[in-house]
Amino acid sequence: MIKLIEKIEGEATLDFNFKDEKIEFVDIKFNSTRGVENILKGKNALDALVINPRVCGICGHAHLIATVKALESCYKDIKISKKAEIIRELTLNFELIHNHFKWFYLTLFPLFGFKQEVLKASYASQLMGKAIATFGGQYPHTSYAVVGGVVCDVTSMDIVKIHSYIDETIKFFEKNVIDVDVEKFILCDNVDMALNSEGDLPKILKEIYEKEWLELGKSYDRFIVFGGNSYFKSGKSHKTRVSKKLPFEYVKEEKNKSSYAKNVSFKDKYYEVGPLSRAMLKKIPLIKDSHRRYGDSILSRILARVCEMAQLLNHSKALLKELDISEASYIEPQVDISKISASGVGAVEAARGSLIHKVELEEGKIKNYEIITPTQWNLAGGSRENQGISQKAMVGLKDEKIAELVFKTFDVCSVCTTH
Amino acid sequence: MVERREALAKMFSAKGSKINTNRGTEYYDSLMQTMTKRLNELEQTEVATKNSIANVLEAEGLDRRDFMKWASATCAALMLPSNFTPLIAKAAELMNRVPVIWLELQDCAGNSEAILRSDAPTIDELILEVISLEFNETIMAAAGHQAEEHLEEAMHTFKGKYLCVVEGSIPTGMNGFYGTIGAKGETFEEHLLHVAKDAAAMVAVGTCATFGGVPAAAPNPTNAVGVQDIVKGKPIINIPACPANPSNITGTILHFVLTGQIPELDHLNRPKFAFGYRIHDNCERRAHFDAGEFVEEWGDEGAKNNFCLYKMGCKGPMTFNNCSIVRYNEGVNWPIGSGHGCIGCSEPQFWDKYAQERPMADTHFKAPTGGVEKTVDEFGLGLLTAAGIGIGIHAAASAIAGKKEECKEGAE
Repeated sequence: MIKLIEKIEGEATLDFNFKDEKIEFVDIKFNSTRGVENILKGKNALDALVINPRVCGICGHAHLIATVKALESCYKDIKISKKAEIIRELTLNFELIHNHFKWFYLTLFPLFGFKQEVLKASYASQLMGKAIATFGGQYPHTSYAVVGGVVCDVTSMDIVKIHSYIDETIKFFEKNVIDVDVEKFILCDNVDMALNSEGDLPKILKEIYEKEWLELGKSYDRFIVFGGNSYFKSGKSHKTRVSKKLPFEYVKEEKNKSSYAKNVSFKDKYYEVGPLSRAMLKKIPLIKDSHRRYGDSILSRILARVCEMAQLLNHSKALLKELDISEASYIEPQVDISKISASGVGAVEAARGSLIHKVELEEGKIKNYEIITPTQWNLAGGSRENQGISQKAMVGLKDEKIAELVFKTFDVCSVCTTH
Repeated sequence: MVERREALAKMFSAKGSKINTNRGTEYYDSLMQTMTKRLNELEQTEVATKNSIANVLEAEGLDRRDFMKWASATCAALMLPSNFTPLIAKAAELMNRVPVIWLELQDCAGNSEAILRSDAPTIDELILEVISLEFNETIMAAAGHQAEEHLEEAMHTFKGKYLCVVEGSIPTGMNGFYGTIGAKGETFEEHLLHVAKDAAAMVAVGTCATFGGVPAAAPNPTNAVGVQDIVKGKPIINIPACPANPSNITGTILHFVLTGQIPELDHLNRPKFAFGYRIHDNCERRAHFDAGEFVEEWGDEGAKNNFCLYKMGCKGPMTFNNCSIVRYNEGVNWPIGSGHGCIGCSEPQFWDKYAQERPMADTHFKAPTGGVEKTVDEFGLGLLTAAGIGIGIHAAASAIAGKKEECKEGAE
């Protein structure tokens, strides 16, 4: 029985199938496509740097960095300065924070019956947008990262500006979201402590406790992170058992008959990606506590995403201190890209989870290109026997409204899923 | 190749891309009368949303002075003399009489992102989002059937009055089944035609909605086209760029509120107030071009000194847009500011013709005003003259009329 058709950011539909008044199976369909992978075929390798950020206006920066990494991995030997690495990582952090704020105030708030806080969402995200623009020229859709480094030559003035954008965001975050110092919040290892304040996060958490939604939204308890960097740790875990090895050849994309989005699995198993996965692999104290008590429920998922804002703001401040502007922004690769025939992979952590770009080059032309987006992991539409991550999290629920809440704690977004 | 080159030369030197910023007292007097009449009429009509600019500004801690500063800047951006400022302010107050329905088709949500969420909360953003946005899929909380009902209701209530803003291209391949929307599974084309039917005018925002954009890049797998290829018999305003600049979107809507008409357009249906400028003519690095100082390789001494990016493939000389003046993210920066060079994102087919690092010097494209041929080293200083306008940011804020004419003559 089809009960409801649901729209998510971009466009997708959910068909809820009920049995004995409980959700038995959810059919997830993506109804549009642009065929970006086909567009890339035959084009010059560097054109991907202009086209790929435009795959997504929401996380386009992650696509730029994934593209540049994929192209660089085609070289046998390429040097990237520490400065360029830091700048790329900082802008990626800013994009993550930018997205999390919007999700928190625009998506999550109304699901708990509160008014959508457009102005709160946009105040913080515009600060992060400005910080990205300072390095990248504009946001969304920047193309400032190139094979060999970045094109921007930042000055001390730019650093001061970015510092102030971060500080202002931290202030806003402390005042509105958590109502305690960020540094205190990061060290917190007890969910009960996170409840005891007046901020918007405790407001949401209290609702979860009051409504007894603590066990809601559990899935397979399997997590995966591909885009390790100076902060995130790559690896996979089942419950708390971690393994570090993630050979890309086990990542498999599969066509889905009823949808334009492909399913993606690792060793034929579905894995959750996103902030909860990152927190599990990084062993963030607060999330560990939440997971110990309530598993991979909506509470852990919501807490992980908010907690990540604090961690990334703090980490970005530290990274910015390490930035040495006297270093080179760009180191010219030894070989011209038109002489390269090889294949490469670039993986980064986008707001919603791991984003993977795979490329095959033949004399500098793109022979094949594959984009695997975070939402393809979380929203994989599996079969009744082998359900996807979000499908599994909704099974057994009675109310569509609650199913919607569970679904949206994954911060679903179909924009680049339908690339 | 010769044909292509000629076509390009024709496109860039078309009369339509020239603008006239001083039309004489008589013209402005009559324009003011038209606008006053229109605003008085609007004032009598019912409000579309309950929000008023006064409430919103107050809630945001902005005072009347901030608002008037915005109005005077917008007045300049729309190329109107400064005595139109009070009218602009009034028009902003009346924007809740002209509802906007924002459709997202084959897109990446980048334009919604640019205007609705990255650039906030400026007065531009407040006015559009809080005051007049009746329907937008990305930001509204309603979804599914509920959203669809809301759309139908808005279309019915504001029949013939609303502006339909479209983001994203329309896939026409495979009978439109590369993109469907809503409970009924309408194709994007059907959905667009349905909403366009009762719209006062169409505003295509971003390069996808205007010229097909990235989805239309060769080999155009879904046969994507722009709004103007689908909707006929309606006024269409194109606001290209990837993403489109928020201030141009607000400016266009404001112009519609002021006059009930669409702004003056160039040969590609782009508002002249925004696309009458050539990036190159107002570029902060232009002096380096004239002095023959170029970045020769990413990260070289030239790059460190903000030299001209022409040799690195900057498409500023063939791109019409005001981003060298308005910039992005509330004026924080713009692509050339970050040292990348322009990719020509407001021009048709930028995705195939101008993409990454293909210096114009290596192509056979001829630049708009002549002069740029073969290699940049072959021509002397200042061969590339201003395309007909030479407007500086400092001049825009003061009384524009009068000064512009001199400037223009001087440049030619």
